[in-house]
Amino acid sequence: MNWEFIGKYLPMYEKAALLTVKIGVIGILFAILLGLVCAAIQYYKVPVLRWIVAVYVELSRNTPLLVQLFFIYYGFPKIGIRMSAEVCGVVGLAFLGGSYMAEAFRSGLEAVEPIQNESAISLGMNSGQVLRYVILPQAMSTSIPAFVANIIFLLKETSVFSAISLMDLMFTAKDLIGLYYKTTESLFLLVVFYLLILLPVSIVGSLVERRMRYAGFGD
Amino acid sequence: MKKFEWKSVLALALTGALALGLTACGSSDNGAAATGSNDAGSKAVYRTLDEIKESGTINIGVFSDKNPFGYVDENGEYQGYDVYYARRLGEDLGVDVNFVSTEAANRIEYLQTGKVDVILANFTVTPERAEEVDFAVPYMNVALGVVSKDDNVITTLDNWNADDSIIVISGTTAETYLIANYPDIPLQKFDSYATAKEAFENGTSVAWANDNTEVIAFALQNEGYTVGIPSLGSADTIAPAVSKGNTTLLDWINDEIASLGEENFFHADYEATLADTYGLDYEDSLVVEGGKVTAQ
Repeated sequence: MNWEFIGKYLPMYEKAALLTVKIGVIGILFAILLGLVCAAIQYYKVPVLRWIVAVYVELSRNTPLLVQLFFIYYGFPKIGIRMSAEVCGVVGLAFLGGSYMAEAFRSGLEAVEPIQNESAISLGMNSGQVLRYVILPQAMSTSIPAFVANIIFLLKETSVFSAISLMDLMFTAKDLIGLYYKTTESLFLLVVFYLLILLPVSIVGSLVERRMRYAGFGD
Repeated sequence: MKKFEWKSVLALALTGALALGLTACGSSDNGAAATGSNDAGSKAVYRTLDEIKESGTINIGVFSDKNPFGYVDENGEYQGYDVYYARRLGEDLGVDVNFVSTEAANRIEYLQTGKVDVILANFTVTPERAEEVDFAVPYMNVALGVVSKDDNVITTLDNWNADDSIIVISGTTAETYLIANYPDIPLQKFDSYATAKEAFENGTSVAWANDNTEVIAFALQNEGYTVGIPSLGSADTIAPAVSKGNTTLLDWINDEIASLGEENFFHADYEATLADTYGLDYEDSLVVEGGKVTAQ
């Protein structure tokens, strides 16, 4: 292990980690928004739109992110849509993540038993109150584990960004190996930086999961 | 309760990190132990000439997307200048050739991990690379070149506009050269020839820097492009590479190239694979015959 090399190229990894986090966070935020909208459309069975959402979810979940990025980055310019690599990364992540988030939220909403809805109505709540005080809190609680898993999954998916020439952590490591042939050091830094990003997410996620576990009975 | 779980999370994380660290360090030690006979604790995991002959197959790393040097044609067959030579090498060695597709940044890695026996992927000889792998005698000349669009031909890299970027392929000599000599020019890096070409055609960057053979071929094959800088940096050579310390294979390849020179093999190779792209004008300046570079 060459520590001098590690010290010298640490800043490059820091830059790459920032880019990874930046695109990851923005992309995931859009994915959550998209997922909420899609889940709502499916839950309320909005005519026409629910079919569009169903097609989107299947398309997005059954194609690899790499393929989606290729379409966005190399395909779209052919029809006149030009975006920077960073924007492509965000769009790709939101497109992929939106469907996963939608499914997580939908499963949460559907896990709330109809009797909860009926009981709340019989207690005199209006539909807004039912949603606000009965359905959403339980749905959120149920979907949190899937939600956290999705965030970690999406952050890890950023490792294919090298295909569209974004200097993320993975590409930085590959580039340094190609430039200076220090494989062990480059890969070591790669693992360390991914852990630095993902471990806090994982730990905070499991804490949140525990605190939010109030749906259903018991526990 | 909470405290306990915190600990278990941390413990798990540390175990994971430790395990990864151990395997990372372990890999280099294993290699050295396995090939104990090598000097200076070399970590090669290569196969010797006899072992290759015995197995009946030689693994040769070539490009699959670098027309006309190493590429896969419409029938799924490997073709090109490097591939033509690779086939002859297998023939003379009396073994089958197993082509392994490689990317520029993988070439050293593939030799160091023993994934291939030889790299014949337009591998430019540099002192830094020679510390990691062993190069045989050369079979082609090369320098760097820069290609750009006809309506904005780049003829110099001085006074660069910092808003413009140059496309390079990760792990090539063009990348190393530009980082060392023009650190202020923004580089747009790609990991394969196919994606770099696609991005260049889409107008991602104003120019593409690569081996001059490659950019000349690109400009000849695609309308609307000009090689504004045909020769950049030093004149280099391209040679086969084997894992560091694999002297039996290296010596055999050196002898092979020397004897192929007597039949002007690489000129035949050029005429079979490169003449369609470059015409015959470049033949004498590109081809190195018998491993001997003649002054140009």
